[in-house]
Amino acid sequence: MLFNSLDFFIFLPIVFILYWFVFFKKIKLQNSFLLISSYLFYGLWDWRFLFLILASTIVDFLVGKEIYNSDSDRKRKNWLWVSVLFNIGLLGFFKYYNFFINSWVDLVSILGYELKSTWTLQIILPVGISFYTFQTMSYSLDIYYRRLTPTKDFISFATFVSFFPQLVAGPIERASNLLSQITTKRVFNYTQCTEGLKLILWGLFKKVVIADSIAPIVDDIFANYGQYPASTLILGVSLFSFQVYGDFSGYSDIAIGTAKLFGIELMSNFKFPTFSRNVAEYWQRWHVSLSTWFRHYVYIPLGGSRVSKLKSVRNIVIIFLVSGFWHGANWTFIFWGAIHAALYIPVFLMGRNRIYMNNVVAENRWFPNIKEISQILLTFILVTFSRVFFRSESITDAFGFLQQIYSNFTYETYLHPLGYRMVDYFILLGLFVLYEFRIRRDERSPFKFKSKVVRFALYTLVILGMLLFFDDNIDRSFIYFQF
Amino acid sequence: MKKLIIKSVLYVFLILVLLEVLVRIFHLGKDTPTRFVDEHKVEKWVPNQNGFSVTGNRRQNFSEYRINNSGYNSYREFTPTKNKIEVALIGDSFIEGFHQDYYNSIGKKVENKLSEIEVYEYGYAGYDFADQLHLVHSYQEQFKLIDHLILGIKFSNDLTRGEYNVVYGRLALESPMNRLLKKSKLLVYCKSIGVLDPPQEMVYRLISLLKSKRETKSLSDEEIALIKKEKEESYLANFESLIAKYGYDKERYTLLLDSRITSTIFLSYLEKNNFNYIDIAQAFEATNRFTTLIYDRHWNNHGRELVGNLITEYLNKKGISKTN
Repeated sequence: MLFNSLDFFIFLPIVFILYWFVFFKKIKLQNSFLLISSYLFYGLWDWRFLFLILASTIVDFLVGKEIYNSDSDRKRKNWLWVSVLFNIGLLGFFKYYNFFINSWVDLVSILGYELKSTWTLQIILPVGISFYTFQTMSYSLDIYYRRLTPTKDFISFATFVSFFPQLVAGPIERASNLLSQITTKRVFNYTQCTEGLKLILWGLFKKVVIADSIAPIVDDIFANYGQYPASTLILGVSLFSFQVYGDFSGYSDIAIGTAKLFGIELMSNFKFPTFSRNVAEYWQRWHVSLSTWFRHYVYIPLGGSRVSKLKSVRNIVIIFLVSGFWHGANWTFIFWGAIHAALYIPVFLMGRNRIYMNNVVAENRWFPNIKEISQILLTFILVTFSRVFFRSESITDAFGFLQQIYSNFTYETYLHPLGYRMVDYFILLGLFVLYEFRIRRDERSPFKFKSKVVRFALYTLVILGMLLFFDDNIDRSFIYFQF
Repeated sequence: MKKLIIKSVLYVFLILVLLEVLVRIFHLGKDTPTRFVDEHKVEKWVPNQNGFSVTGNRRQNFSEYRINNSGYNSYREFTPTKNKIEVALIGDSFIEGFHQDYYNSIGKKVENKLSEIEVYEYGYAGYDFADQLHLVHSYQEQFKLIDHLILGIKFSNDLTRGEYNVVYGRLALESPMNRLLKKSKLLVYCKSIGVLDPPQEMVYRLISLLKSKRETKSLSDEEIALIKKEKEESYLANFESLIAKYGYDKERYTLLLDSRITSTIFLSYLEKNNFNYIDIAQAFEATNRFTTLIYDRHWNNHGRELVGNLITEYLNKKGISKTN
């Protein structure tokens, strides 16, 4: 069930009403109902994969207990390995099995041996597997690091794993944040609900108007990059930056907003990364839940930045390569991760990786200064350049794309593949960037204006925008579902 | 909770009202003229209506229509006399041309090239061959004065019936409920861009779930070919039955068709029996520019230009354009 589908807009009010009017009396009822709703939400995609979620839930529920009850570090570690191997095993099989087989065949052929890729399997990637496996693992890891005591309530734990707003594409929650809310009875809160509705509206706008409307242009340019001049290719990859941002942050906003309707606060996943002043700040603002996960469970255990510079650099490289690989079983993602590591390391070595942690661009000012604008533009260009690898089907395509920019460095007016006016999209993106800049201080309040009239006008404009850019013929699924 | 529900309902209502106003201000939704069946059982538009036809979101195509005194979209009135040269263009929505400004129609393009003739466009969305011949027959006194008739025909759509009956399915669009719904420009706009498709599909899905499932049989290539052949033969039989009933003046009547989407059986039949026709296929194949609109398959200005040129050439070749 997609957030931007009619099914969801029927499902959500029904679940909301039953949750607050029928199952509100006891926490057990609330959680049982949320669990059933979440399984229904996921099962409507493919009910067979519910067994995977259930298996992952049972394994980590039991492992968590065992880790907690173990009297020796060795036992604790062994139990942790059970969780890690099980979850990574699931991911490895469903997501990476064919990649490893094909890479092995390629490697052997480079060495001069011919192998046929007969071991590859027709495997369907279960939606959200990268997200919920990481979430369940975080539970066992937190217990292992003694940050959490295991829950005895299986229903609550299963609800934590499968909570439908964030089940298929995050934010990847840590048990310490989400599970503690699930084990506490929720009480209806009007303000929280309206904030949730506003976030859902803004998320839908980003998805329908920004991401979906640009998608046909990006698809066309990347599919036919060999036929286009540099100007078009640069346009394509720049638009992809907006598309992937609108798509994923839109999803996250809807997820956070939906969770609010049920009295649950999820962590922020996007904090206006477009206005980052360097790559380090970008990673503090882009897909925050994943960055946080890797920081807590990979980077810090490896020593983080408290080891020698050389080891810290090694840790950064590991983090970015793993993060790239997490996105998909393709060398393009590993390259993308490597590029980000290469961009991050100089910032880290100059000691500028934490300087923008607690402030936003043009803090206490209306407009950014020239220096900030230059920084934002440079960061945008670098991040966008890396997205050539993120978006291309293969490494060959990615290099072909870059080669085409270099070899055909000319300008030509690009015409929309469906014949629409291109100027509409430029105006739209211009207004979108300006508006996001205006609201950049609080990613959880997209309509934070004192005047009721202004807020009402904005709601109407946002819905009008959706009607103006709605296209019935395009694929409306979310990009991050494939990860 | 009560506050949330009341405020939500109020906000939704106010937003809908404001959206309706905005859709009207920017003229995003199309106007729909009223249709009726006249005393000859000919379906047409109620005379003397004006409005704007809009296609797609953000007004991707915006054009003005004008229904004349005869009930068809045209910049001119149809007043055939013996002293003038008139050509009638009869057909479906491609001839009706709501997707173009009424003063830039195919007929107007022909008139611009052949100033001595008047082109009367009897176009109406959904008109098939039966509709066309019934119209000509019903208004035979008027059509007798018209020098030449060009009838647009799409083989796969326009020959599915061998006799004329009023199509009440189309007239259902004039039901009180539909007329009421059409008053909301917001609703009209949403429907035109497909926002209302998912609810409709959901209703169909539910209905099909309730209905018992029919067994679907997969057909072999031979069976498909046989069905196709039978269908084409029945269409040809319909053509013969219609011209037998209403008459067909081979000298005065010409078909306008696209041979790319016309059965070879039908084309051979036309050749063998000396039916005149204008084929748009070659001209459309030869051009490297788009010939249709973004959102539908109707001809855009370039497509209409090509059709206009072909008709002009044909009229010149036939000597129809020269004043006697």
